[in-house]
Amino acid sequence: MSHLLAARVRTGLLWAAAVAVVVVYGFPFVYLVLTSFKPAVDAIAVPPTVLPQRFTLDNYLTALNRPGVTASFINSVSTAVVATLLSMALAIPAAWGITRYRTRAGQLLMAGSLLVRMAPAVAIGIPLVTILGAAGLTDTPTGLALAQTTVALPLSIWLLASFFEGMPREIEEAALVDGCGRFTALLRVILPVVSGGLAVTAIFAFLASWNEFLFALLLTSVRAQTTPIAIANFQSQFGLDWGPMTALATLYSVPAVVLTLLLQRRIVAGLSLGAVKG
Amino acid sequence: MSPTAQAAPPRSAPRTPAPTGGRRARRGLSDAGYATLLAAPAAVVLLALVGWPLVKLVVDSLHSGSGLGDGRRFAGLANYVTALTDPGIRAAAGRTLAYTLIVVSAELVLGLAVALLFHRLGPRARILQTLFLYPLMIAPVVAGLLWRFLMIDSVGIVNELLTRVGILDNPGDVSWLSDPDLVLFSVALPDIWLTTSFMTLVLYAGLQAIPPDLYEAARLDGARGLRLLVSVTLPLLRPVIAVALIIRGVDAARAFDVILIQTDGGPQSASETLSLTIYKTMVSYNDPGTAAATSTLFMIVMMVVAMVAVLTIWRPGKES
Repeated sequence: MSHLLAARVRTGLLWAAAVAVVVVYGFPFVYLVLTSFKPAVDAIAVPPTVLPQRFTLDNYLTALNRPGVTASFINSVSTAVVATLLSMALAIPAAWGITRYRTRAGQLLMAGSLLVRMAPAVAIGIPLVTILGAAGLTDTPTGLALAQTTVALPLSIWLLASFFEGMPREIEEAALVDGCGRFTALLRVILPVVSGGLAVTAIFAFLASWNEFLFALLLTSVRAQTTPIAIANFQSQFGLDWGPMTALATLYSVPAVVLTLLLQRRIVAGLSLGAVKG
Repeated sequence: MSPTAQAAPPRSAPRTPAPTGGRRARRGLSDAGYATLLAAPAAVVLLALVGWPLVKLVVDSLHSGSGLGDGRRFAGLANYVTALTDPGIRAAAGRTLAYTLIVVSAELVLGLAVALLFHRLGPRARILQTLFLYPLMIAPVVAGLLWRFLMIDSVGIVNELLTRVGILDNPGDVSWLSDPDLVLFSVALPDIWLTTSFMTLVLYAGLQAIPPDLYEAARLDGARGLRLLVSVTLPLLRPVIAVALIIRGVDAARAFDVILIQTDGGPQSASETLSLTIYKTMVSYNDPGTAAATSTLFMIVMMVVAMVAVLTIWRPGKES
C-alpha cells in the first residue's frame, strides 16, 4: 500500500515538474503577447507589470499603419510559399532516390546537403547578391525565395530521407507487384503513407523561409522586404517603440503557431513513425 | 524555377547518365539511373544556388579592393593572412566557439532532461509536449527582440522578478546586455530558449524508438535510475544525440539575427560572433576580400569539425 502511495507521489511530482517547465518556458512569449495589448505607455512602465491594467489594440493599429508593414506581410507569405513549393518539389524525388536506391551519387548529395547546412549564410548570401542581381531578381520575392531554398531544400531532403528510411520496404514492393511503375508507386502509394512526414517537412521548410533574416537583409530593400526586416527596422527608425514592436512580433508569430496547431497531430505522428514501424 | 534552370544547363547535362540496364530495369532505365534522375534536379539547384556562390566567394577571397570595379586586383593569399592575424577576427572566432559551447551544452542538458520527463509521463503529457514545442516556430528575430525586452537594464521583467524573489537587491544590479563580461551569455539565452524544443523533440523521438524490452532486461539485471540512463539510454541515443548536436552546433556557430537584434555585437564587440564580423567587414567596412577569406576559413573549420563529429560520435557505419 505504501509502495503504491510512493509511486503516486512520484508521478504527481513528475507532473508538477513538467507543468512548471512548460509554464516557465512559455512565460516569455505570454509576456510578449500581454505586453502587446497594453497601452504603449504601460509597455515601458517602471517597474514592469505582467498583466495589462487595461486591454487595448492601439499597438496593433500603430504597427499596421506604419508604412510598408502590411506589404511586408504579403512579401513574407509569397516568399515562404514559393520557397516551400520549390523545396518540396525538389526534395521529395531526391530523398526517395537517395534512401531507396542508395547509390553513390545519392550519398554524395546527402553529404552535400549536410555541407550546405554548414556554410555560414553570410558566405552564400554575399555572392548571391551579385548573382541574383545579374538574373534581374534583386529585391523580388522570387529572388529571396531562391536564396532561402538553399536553407529549406537541404533541410527537407534530410527530414524526408529520415521519414522514408522509417518506412517498411514491403509497401513499395507490394505496389510494384501490383503492376505499378516505380514513379507511380512513389506518387500513389509511398507518398500517402508518409503524408505525416511530408506535412512536417513542409511546415519546417515554410518556417525556415518565414523566419529567415539574413538573406532578406542582404537581398531586399523596399519592394520585397519581409516582416522580420520590418521588425528590425522598427527600432532604428522609430527608436525603441516597444508597444507596437511587441504587437508586430506577436502578429508575425500567429501563422506559425496556427499552422503547428492545425497539423500538430501529424507532427507527432510523423515523428513517431520510426518508432511504430515494428 | 526558370531562372535556376537558365543558370545551370551546362552543369545539368553531364549529370544524367545513360541507362546501364540493371537487373530490375524497367522502361529502359536502371535503378541507379532512375535514382540519379530523381536526385538530379535538387543537385542542380544546389550547385547553382550554393556551389556557384561558394566558387565566387573563393575567387573574391583572392582579390582585394571593393567589388565595384575600383581597383579590384589579385591579392593571392593576403586576405587569408589578414583573416588569420587580425585581432578583431581572432577574438570573434573565440567568441563564436564560446557562444556555440554555451548554447549547445545548455540545450543538451535541458533538452535531455525534458525529453526524459515527457517520455516518463507518456502520451498523456502530449498537451505539455505541444506547448513546449512552440518556441521552435518563432522567428529568431522575434525571440531576440523579446529577450532584449525581458532583459532591458533595470526596467526589464527578468530583473524585476529576480528582485522580487530576493536574488537581486535592486533591479539595476545586473546589466545583462550592456555588461561586456556577461553579454555573450545573455545573447545566447534566446537561442537556447528557441531551440531546446528541437533538442527535446529529437531526443524524445529517439527515446520512443528504444524497445521497452531492453529496459526490462536491464531492470532484471538490477540496473536502476541513473545507471539505467548511463548504460542503456544514452548509448542507444548516441546517433540521435550526435545528429542533434551537430545540427544545433552548426546553427549556433552561425548565429546572426538573434545577436544582431539584441546588441548588434556590442558592447565593445563583446557579443560579436564571426557571422556579424563578416557581415560588418562586408557591409560597413566594404572589404569584400577579407570578408570572403574569413567566410571561407569559417566554413572549412565548421565542415572539418562537423565531419569529425559525424565520424566519431555518430559512427554511421555501425547503424546499417
